[in-house]
Amino acid sequence: METFWEAFKRHGVSRRDFLKFATAITGLMGLAPSMVPTVVRAMETKPRVPVIWIHGLECTCCSESFIRSATPLASDVVLSMISLEYDDTLSAAAGDAVEEHRKKVMKEYWGNYILAVEGNPPLGEEGMFCIVNGKPFVEHLKESAEGAKAVIAWGSCASWGCVQAARPNPTTAVPVHKVIKDKPIIKVPGCPPIAEVMTGVIMYMVLFDRIPPLDSQGRPKMFYGNRIHDTCYRRAFFNAGQFVERFDDEGAKKGWCLYKVGCRGPTTYNQCGSMRWYNGLSYPIQSGHGCIGCAEDNFWDNGPFYERLTNIPVPKQETNADKVGAVAAAAAVGGAIVHGIATKLRNSGNKED
Amino acid sequence: MKRVVVDPVTRIEGHLRIEIMVDENTGQIKDAVSCGTMFRGIELIVRDRDPRDVWAFTQRICGVCTSIHAQASLRAVEDALEITIPKNANYIRNIMYGSLQVHDHVVHFYHLHALDWVSPIEALKADPVQTAALQNKLLETYGAVGDLMPDPLGRRAYPKKFPKATPGYFRTFQEKIKKLVESGQLGIFAAHWWDHPDYKLLPPEVHLIAVAHYLNMLDVQRELFIPQVIFGGKNPHPHYIVGGVNCSISMDDMNAPVNAERLAVVEDALYTQAEAVNLFYLIDLLAIGHIYVNKGWTYGGGLSKKRVIGYGDFPDEPYEGIKTGDYHKKILYHSNGVVEDFAQGVDKAKYYPLVGKDFADPDVIQEFVAHSWYKYPDESKGLHPWEGITEPNYTGPKEGTKTHWKYLDEQGKYSWIKSPRWRGKPCEVGPLARYIITYTAVKQGHVKPSWLDEMVVNQIDTVSKVLGLPPHVWLPTTVGRTAARGLEAQIAVAANLYFLKKLYDNIKAGDTAVANMEKWDPSTWPKEAKGIGLTEAPRGALGHWCIIENGKVKNYQCVVPTTWNGGARDPMGGQGAFEECMKDTVVKIPEKPVEVLKGIRSFDPCLACSTHLYNSKGEEILKVKVQGGAPSC
Repeated sequence: METFWEAFKRHGVSRRDFLKFATAITGLMGLAPSMVPTVVRAMETKPRVPVIWIHGLECTCCSESFIRSATPLASDVVLSMISLEYDDTLSAAAGDAVEEHRKKVMKEYWGNYILAVEGNPPLGEEGMFCIVNGKPFVEHLKESAEGAKAVIAWGSCASWGCVQAARPNPTTAVPVHKVIKDKPIIKVPGCPPIAEVMTGVIMYMVLFDRIPPLDSQGRPKMFYGNRIHDTCYRRAFFNAGQFVERFDDEGAKKGWCLYKVGCRGPTTYNQCGSMRWYNGLSYPIQSGHGCIGCAEDNFWDNGPFYERLTNIPVPKQETNADKVGAVAAAAAVGGAIVHGIATKLRNSGNKED
Repeated sequence: MKRVVVDPVTRIEGHLRIEIMVDENTGQIKDAVSCGTMFRGIELIVRDRDPRDVWAFTQRICGVCTSIHAQASLRAVEDALEITIPKNANYIRNIMYGSLQVHDHVVHFYHLHALDWVSPIEALKADPVQTAALQNKLLETYGAVGDLMPDPLGRRAYPKKFPKATPGYFRTFQEKIKKLVESGQLGIFAAHWWDHPDYKLLPPEVHLIAVAHYLNMLDVQRELFIPQVIFGGKNPHPHYIVGGVNCSISMDDMNAPVNAERLAVVEDALYTQAEAVNLFYLIDLLAIGHIYVNKGWTYGGGLSKKRVIGYGDFPDEPYEGIKTGDYHKKILYHSNGVVEDFAQGVDKAKYYPLVGKDFADPDVIQEFVAHSWYKYPDESKGLHPWEGITEPNYTGPKEGTKTHWKYLDEQGKYSWIKSPRWRGKPCEVGPLARYIITYTAVKQGHVKPSWLDEMVVNQIDTVSKVLGLPPHVWLPTTVGRTAARGLEAQIAVAANLYFLKKLYDNIKAGDTAVANMEKWDPSTWPKEAKGIGLTEAPRGALGHWCIIENGKVKNYQCVVPTTWNGGARDPMGGQGAFEECMKDTVVKIPEKPVEVLKGIRSFDPCLACSTHLYNSKGEEILKVKVQGGAPSC
């Protein structure tokens, strides 16, 4: 297998651009600048990792998000960084031909390939709510996981269950970790996850040949360490007590805080506030809609979406954000603790296990 | 007779299985079976929820045609609650919708469908110098197609995205593919039937251009959706609100979701759409399609020759209700109707109008289950979505076991997909259906054509001239289905520019409202309300039917494009569009049915499934274990 650097050279990428790329990727993965040489070394020596990407019950929004990645671009990921050997959405081949190829790749790279799972297995009706090659998807999943080095659970479906697992979960859809118990699983939640979070996770794994540091829930810390509220550009309005009271009111036009119209930013761990979508172009709150909490477990059943969270203390009304700006930093520390407790309480009530 | 199974059918959304019965001597397909193989139950899940939240749930029916089920849901709820959205919201929703059409069609052509027509292996045989020359020639030959698109803004100084036509450029792609082949890690190109004779139909240089653009467009497609990211905050799955859109407008505030800077980002993206469609997509499409048609590839039309259905879209101005009929008075794209026998010529085709009240009529649109894994009290009859029953009745395959199939039982039940019918008859939906309906409606004088209708007619007449064939010969075919989609992408770009201009003009006139909040509070709603939400999804006509009671969703039904096209046969023996298309196709190598997959993928199938889970009284069926019904889009 060829290394990244070899692949890049073939691609006509200069050494200078290659180093620039490595530096950008280091930053993207939340690593210190001192790690740049390590990243470069890894890119020079690591071969392209085979990836088998399977689809259960899902809507394919994760695949769609993945190809929206700007850094790195989809073509570079798919053809130069990983070797996407099986994918329902992109594979040229179909039917038994593609199934045989999956088995061949598994055998050839046993213990070395990454299994990416989009969607989840339904357990009802003996698994026959989702059928691949005339067999239940859950069987397909277990078989594909057997020789995998690690499993990536793409999106909220694979990580938590998502929409098909919402009340009353008609198909008994379960997240991947309920079925695969003997492999490291990296959860990358979101409906869908942000494109550059997805490709960032891939980059980390293929460069360092290990899974990224995970939090207690199995999510990469570098991408799920903060609540959206913590990094939201409208946070100052929250602190100042300036809220949108009703969609399209004066506050909405001014871009004030959406907390009172249901924003889940205070209880949602994701990168929307800092990385944003489309390489920083926007995110739901910037477009004037509250966060619906799509990266959180069980978020569909935490509605209605337009009802405000009742357990987040709201600062007193202030007329001028500038006035409180000076004390905002200090207040944020206290606020974060309160939010943290609130989040914990919410989550503990929602756990299915 | 040989029975060939393809499962999974890749490069589609969701899970699909097909089985074909091939006469090995002639390559004729005697019968074909289409089976959707995934079920989620979104319609059950939205029950008892706040109707203002439902757009977000139904949006997750599909992430490829993301936003279309949100649009259908918003329209259904607004129809039920009698909410008319502001002008700006109508324009913005149309631009978000048009951007979906452009993106979906581009990605379908290059990333889901192209490899049925072109091969990276054949591209290796191309001469890069000749390829560059051919690219120039194609731009000269077909470039005029871009002139069909009006540009009411006229602000692009020159095209920023333009196909490169230098030997070095094509050599780079060739070397990349060569290395992939040599490394043995072919990735997404692995294991396909590249030795199939159909891949010899095109010269190697066309293969190289198309493969280069496959990769080009893989990187460009993200930009086509920028309008959804600005107005809806993200993509896939942008945000909306019942009553309008969330992105408030203010020209006085840098924090406003929509201001001059944000609109400039949208405008730039619309021109990127125009360039991707006019300079890449349509040129490549015409180059490949022209050769295929010249070589006699005019099969695969199937049901489109006999009957197509559409609902119409792009409301020019806000409308007061769908059931009331006002929606169909306001739309620009008059693809609403049913057309029979288009293959006999546009003059002989029969046109049946379809407007608001028809969608509430229990006899017009119905679903059957005789060959689907459901039970009706009387399976010889169909049921209207508002009265639908879904009682699971899984009977397994004809051969094999319940969980390990060999062959499906087409004589009995064989699919989770129901069979929607128009007055008891199967219909094809999709861009091809919309083109046949609009063209017939205009040519036969049934509608007063809008500028958009006229553009459709103009496109069809222009391509007919290029091909030297009348529309009824080339349109209802597999090539025509793929061509109509590309032409429709151009329609969508034109509509986006048109609505952006309207948005500018309206803001300029002093109107910045984006949401009608009069009926936001559930206390303002009637005790019971019924609504219909119609739209034209990228894959065809889409309808959501909802019943709201005491502020909650009581029943919700979606009848979606791939249910129309991919559904099982009905009790009268009528087959859906997938099966009819396969039966209208000839294969050269039965066990490598590239021609059939080309036909199936020309529909852009989308199988993420939804379900119908209530009996006629709206009561939940006891101990529901099995859901299913409609695939999504």
